Amino acid sequence: MQDQELLQDGLALMALGMGVVFVFLTVLVISVTLMSKLIGRFQPVPVAVDSGKKASQPSAPSDQSDEVMAVICAAVHRYRTTRRR
Amino acid sequence: MDKLVTLWEGSGLYNLELGQAVMMVVGLLLLYLAIYKKFEPLLLVPIGFGGILANIPEAGLAISALDQAIEVAKPAVLQQMAAALGANLDPLSNLDAWRESLKSLAHEGAAPDQVRAARDIAMNVGYGDGMLYSFYSVAIASGIAPLIIFMGVGAMTDFGPLLANPRTLFLGAAAQFGIFATLFGAVLLTSMGVMDFSLNQAAAIGIIGGADGPTSIYVSSVLAPELLGAIAVAAYAYMALVPLIQPPIMRLLTTQKEREIKMTQLRPVSKLEKVVFPLVLLILVALFLPDAAPLLGMFCFGNLMRECGVVERLSDTAQNALINIVTIILGLSVGSKLMAESFLSFETLGILGLGIVAFGIGTAAGVLMAKLMNLMSKMPINPLIGAAGVSAVPMAARVANKVGLEANPHNFLLMHAMGPNVAGVIGSAVAAGVMIKYLG
Repeated sequence: MQDQELLQDGLALMALGMGVVFVFLTVLVISVTLMSKLIGRFQPVPVAVDSGKKASQPSAPSDQSDEVMAVICAAVHRYRTTRRR
Repeated sequence: MDKLVTLWEGSGLYNLELGQAVMMVVGLLLLYLAIYKKFEPLLLVPIGFGGILANIPEAGLAISALDQAIEVAKPAVLQQMAAALGANLDPLSNLDAWRESLKSLAHEGAAPDQVRAARDIAMNVGYGDGMLYSFYSVAIASGIAPLIIFMGVGAMTDFGPLLANPRTLFLGAAAQFGIFATLFGAVLLTSMGVMDFSLNQAAAIGIIGGADGPTSIYVSSVLAPELLGAIAVAAYAYMALVPLIQPPIMRLLTTQKEREIKMTQLRPVSKLEKVVFPLVLLILVALFLPDAAPLLGMFCFGNLMRECGVVERLSDTAQNALINIVTIILGLSVGSKLMAESFLSFETLGILGLGIVAFGIGTAAGVLMAKLMNLMSKMPINPLIGAAGVSAVPMAARVANKVGLEANPHNFLLMHAMGPNVAGVIGSAVAAGVMIKYLG
């Protein structure tokens, strides 16, 4: 009789445990995918600005107009965002 | 002549019991496996040596002050302790009978405050806790050592492959079936009358299937400390045997064609994603499964230190110096549980047997899940990487890679297998949390 109870408890724990593991990891998959998408969408902005700044500092003495730099930055940015998707 | 007799009676050889001798041989066997067969030497060397130390007769390295006093103290002290424990010692029976009855009283019958009083008496007379006993209470009974090791594992883990292909988390989840199937197996054996395990013990045995040393030790220290020695030894020995246990199962469940499947290149993962991931995981744990917080919290902390890039020194300490120090203490403490009376039983054989079944079922479940996902998704998934879902980082991933190379010499699965591999670590920590919640 007691054995029967133990067996049932074991079975319950097995179902519950597997269920929780799967649900938790499913939630994790969803949130990680969302996170990656979000970051993929927003991150290229600071990166593009960063690289623009870095590029513009050394190139400033060499007579490159800001306008050209801005155009290049915009192009790079657009390229990166489209590629991310 | 009398002096000589005293010396002889105080020697190890005179006091050596059969069980202790057998356990010393077991300790030597573990050392042999570690040194010559290279079975997880980092842990089995301290565990084996600790096992030998714990079984030195009369030294009492692995027992508390109270037990030590009960075993060797003078009759007057024994009577004092009996009074503290609220019992009368029969003046007619001999000293050994006194010690027996006191021992059973101290471990089962007496109330906690009585035991504490008896312990104070033992300490007053000059008996102290054995060295290994102190190690055990600091490192394992408190839960600290496995958690610090888990932090170090977190600091060593690269979640890149997992982030590039998050669906591999399902493989890590499927492989945890080994844990629960083994739990059920242990319960089944009990109900058939072959073995005698409680539900707590069954759960602690099942966690061997998680193939994760610190998690196994943590769970068994919470749920079934009496089985800790056997469980830890089984977990680490089988982790070393992964390259032998897994490939036959993997070959049996897959066809040549499936083993040759090539997987698409993983996308590069940005640093920001790697920094945010441990925080996302931590938040999910906090929201849904607080009982896994000790394990996964330390794991996330270690990983954040690694990825954030501003605490190089801490991350370096966590994955090198600290984890080494803790491993030494953890190994010796586990060794202290290799005492004859708890280890030499039929149950230990059961634990060793169930442990290997746990590994096999976990591997099979991972492979089958990968086959299922391969059928359902557009991106091809090589079923071999499912086997890496039983953690055992990075051994299981290497095995998947090796079996894949056998089928197709140009197919490198290592990076793809690392995803399910680290997912398995998360999965077994979650499983541990569920069990502790349900039974703790």
